[in-house]
Amino acid sequence: MITPCPLFNLQAQSLGWGQQCVLGSLDLSIYEGENVAIVGKSGSGKTTLIKALFQQAPDKVALCGQDYGLVPSLSVFHNIYMGQLDKHSFIYNFTNLLRPFKKEINAISTLTTPLALTEDLFKSAENLSGGQQQRVALGRALFQNKAVFIGDEPVSSVDEVQAENLLQLIMSRHHTTILTLHNIDLALRFCDRIIGLRHGVIELDKPVTDISESQLRTLYQD
Amino acid sequence: MSPPSPQATGIRKLSLSFTLIALACLFFADTSIITTNPWGEVGNIGQGLITPSFTSPSTLLTSLMNTLAFALIGVVFAALLGMVLAHFFEWRVVRISCAFIRSIHELFWALIFLQVFGLSTLTGLLAIIIPYTGIFAKVYAEILEESDQTALQRLPIATSRWSSHLYARLMPAWPQLVHYTQYRLECGIRSSSVLGFVGLPTLGFHLESFFKQGYYSEAAGVLYLFIAVIALMRFWAKKRYLLPLLVIAFIWLPFQVSVDTDLLYRFFSHDILPAPLRQEGPLTMGSWSQTLDWCILLFKDQILVGSWNTLLLTQIALVGSGITALLLYPLISPLFFTQRKRTVGHLFLITLRSIPELIFAFVILLITGPSMIPAIIALSLHNGAIIAHLIGRYTEVIKLRADSPTHGNRYAYEVTPRIYKPFLAFLFYRWEVILRESAILGILGIQTLGFFIDSAFEEFRFDRALFLILVTALLNILVDSFSRSIRSKLRLSTSPEAQ
Amino acid sequence: MMKILTLPLITLLLTCLASPLNAEPFVFTAIPDQDETQLQQRFNKVAQYLEQTLNVEVKYVPVKSYTAAVSAFRNNQVQLAWFGGLSGVQARRLVPNSMAIAQGVEDEHFKTYFIAHNSSQLTKQDTLPEQMKDMTFTFGSKGSTSGRLMPEFYIREQFKKSPNDLFKSVGFSGDHSRTIALVQAGTYQVGALNFKVWDRALADGKIDLSKVSVIWETPEYPDYQWTIRGDVNAKWGEGFAQKVKQALLDIKDPELLKSFPREGFIPASNEDYAPILDTAKNIGLIE
Repeated sequence: MITPCPLFNLQAQSLGWGQQCVLGSLDLSIYEGENVAIVGKSGSGKTTLIKALFQQAPDKVALCGQDYGLVPSLSVFHNIYMGQLDKHSFIYNFTNLLRPFKKEINAISTLTTPLALTEDLFKSAENLSGGQQQRVALGRALFQNKAVFIGDEPVSSVDEVQAENLLQLIMSRHHTTILTLHNIDLALRFCDRIIGLRHGVIELDKPVTDISESQLRTLYQD
Repeated sequence: MSPPSPQATGIRKLSLSFTLIALACLFFADTSIITTNPWGEVGNIGQGLITPSFTSPSTLLTSLMNTLAFALIGVVFAALLGMVLAHFFEWRVVRISCAFIRSIHELFWALIFLQVFGLSTLTGLLAIIIPYTGIFAKVYAEILEESDQTALQRLPIATSRWSSHLYARLMPAWPQLVHYTQYRLECGIRSSSVLGFVGLPTLGFHLESFFKQGYYSEAAGVLYLFIAVIALMRFWAKKRYLLPLLVIAFIWLPFQVSVDTDLLYRFFSHDILPAPLRQEGPLTMGSWSQTLDWCILLFKDQILVGSWNTLLLTQIALVGSGITALLLYPLISPLFFTQRKRTVGHLFLITLRSIPELIFAFVILLITGPSMIPAIIALSLHNGAIIAHLIGRYTEVIKLRADSPTHGNRYAYEVTPRIYKPFLAFLFYRWEVILRESAILGILGIQTLGFFIDSAFEEFRFDRALFLILVTALLNILVDSFSRSIRSKLRLSTSPEAQ
Repeated sequence: MMKILTLPLITLLLTCLASPLNAEPFVFTAIPDQDETQLQQRFNKVAQYLEQTLNVEVKYVPVKSYTAAVSAFRNNQVQLAWFGGLSGVQARRLVPNSMAIAQGVEDEHFKTYFIAHNSSQLTKQDTLPEQMKDMTFTFGSKGSTSGRLMPEFYIREQFKKSPNDLFKSVGFSGDHSRTIALVQAGTYQVGALNFKVWDRALADGKIDLSKVSVIWETPEYPDYQWTIRGDVNAKWGEGFAQKVKQALLDIKDPELLKSFPREGFIPASNEDYAPILDTAKNIGLIE
């Protein structure tokens, strides 16, 4: 049997920004088809890890970060449409900015219904609430139609019921997902592998089925 | 108590040294005040102001339409060109060309084009489009540079350069770009009106004629009409009216674009050549050495004294504008006054910045007598009112605690410290503008570079005029680069987000 | 936004293409030495008169300054102009073959008045008073014959100094009426202006003689004149310049004459203005 080639592979790598080393020596492989949750206290290096993973295959990944990167003056429609800017010529994109194409509106409407944004489709992003803005950012990542979804707390600003629906939506549209989640419960229910970070090292890397309550608790101790 | 940050000390030092320089300049400048009995004439002006007259409304309306049409078309074209150039602003050649074209005052551009295209629509439009393109390119480039970049990082990796630019750089900056362009439209209307001073059929034509002949009621009529148009801009200068207004402007202005190539050729091959070169021909040795003498003579007689006076006036007026702005900005700030009182404040500031400096200076000249004082006061009030408007608007985004102090204490402890950095940024932006305008006030008889340029045009010595304009442009570019380095060193920025 | 871009361009193109190519009218300009208001209305009547007399389309264009008038004349935007003495000389130097054809009755014997604020203690004399030294002084506009050229000439002749060296400060009021206003207010102690403007203001009761008075008047010199381009005959037919000249000399309607304002017009020639040219060369206004 041939071992499948990992989608993401970090070997003995230290990560950080500037002079500061946030993550120590990491060994990590993620394969196609996995649904991975990265958990840990804030400051444990989750965001840094997410960014590093994204850098490994930026062309295959739809990234939904904590800084939404919305364009405040543009509508929900246009912000989501930005997820497919690479699929069209400049002229098409330019025209669509002035006068949205029917085709694109229809495509995006199929996303905004589950995101509960349909009524605000042509509202400027700057006039939305925090939760709505997060859903727009998520919408843009989903609209990219990539094989892999990497999300950094993609559902942190919405209520629990909505969070579940959105996670379902993410899972249904991507073969591979890597998420950071502060809600352990959701992580256990939606993912099949948990990576726990503590003080910049991987403390835990197991399938969900093998994880005990106490193992998770130690992650959150000082 | 923590020691002040190096930046705060830098700002303090900067403010102090500019004030000291201005004081030193005041010492060198002629600031004598001679008054005898100005009040009769000032009384006449005052009477004119309270009894405005609108004789021949049809002429007035025609020139109002001309003013608006020149401004609209000029600003729109300049904005489009400026937007294109802003994208190449990292190229040195673009930066320098833009600095050059905006360093020449629109009145001087008009005087140049008058020689080539005569009194035509093209002259008026080019006189606005050219310097405004330089200004737009610079400011647009800076706005784009300072705009939020996170959207750019979230785009699909394969997005083409122009698509990502359009959606993730241009659009985030769009509100600020629009805001700035609207503000420029007001400046454009002012410029277009002032072009009347050299004969284009705009409001300034009549304002100046009436005013200089002592028809103060009629002058007041023109002035009030002008102020009303600017004060009501927020009702008519809307994005959705832009297109219809532009179409009307195009239909309104008479375009008889008959470019006479002979005139063009004559201007470049004859008029602007230094006199000795023109008379002797470029082939003899003697003509070149005479040209050198010509330059040296011009330098000794006009450039030295002209630059000296220009710089004196500029440095004093720069600090004067700063002080005026700091005193006036609360008038339109919601942190100090209610909506109703602010309307009065706005009207006051609009009036101050709408009265052309030349007319301002003349009224003060009557009162103080001939010296540099009228020019200093006129420039300080005019530019101070503009900066006050900008920082007053800036205070709208400041959120104070509910228990913050009020009145004087709020002014001194809460608001002024917060707006001080953007205030300095605006002021240093204005530096080159003040320099440019100080050249125009030379027409009052203060021997600035502008005085000599104006004389050269009057005497049909275009060679001298152009040489002096080039010197003025050089001075402007120096001041601009100096101001740019100060702004970047102290990280002075005018946009709220970048603070 | 696409529309915002394209529409102006298209309109511009169309307007350029559509500009009429009909026969060009005969264009003239005039700046009277007083009362520059409502120029268009007043001079349209003159244009009508010329149109009827000459049988060609005649148009008046208002200009702001003598400089602008000269530029327009040089660029053939106007073919006939009512110039001041100096601007006429400048225009004829710039346009070969152009000629002075008529002047006002008053323009043969024109004068400049030097006026002073009474606090200066200057009184009317036969020469420019020595005490003027170190006072403040204002000319009219830079290109004016009676407000600049002639007074500067006589100042230099009398004191052997440039005005800048002689006076404490030298201003350019830009206009004769304004010179009166400035000296009457005491802003400048001494000023020089067109004698007709002074006489008219005096008659209109706009001058307070307890504040300002005439202290010296220059000898006479020729001033305003009609100048026509040399190439008009080629365009409007042989003898056209002569016809224009005759039409101007024939103006008798007081209402038309009031616009200039002159009693009537008499013939003039380029040679009449030789003294002005010499003076301008003398003080360095013309090389």
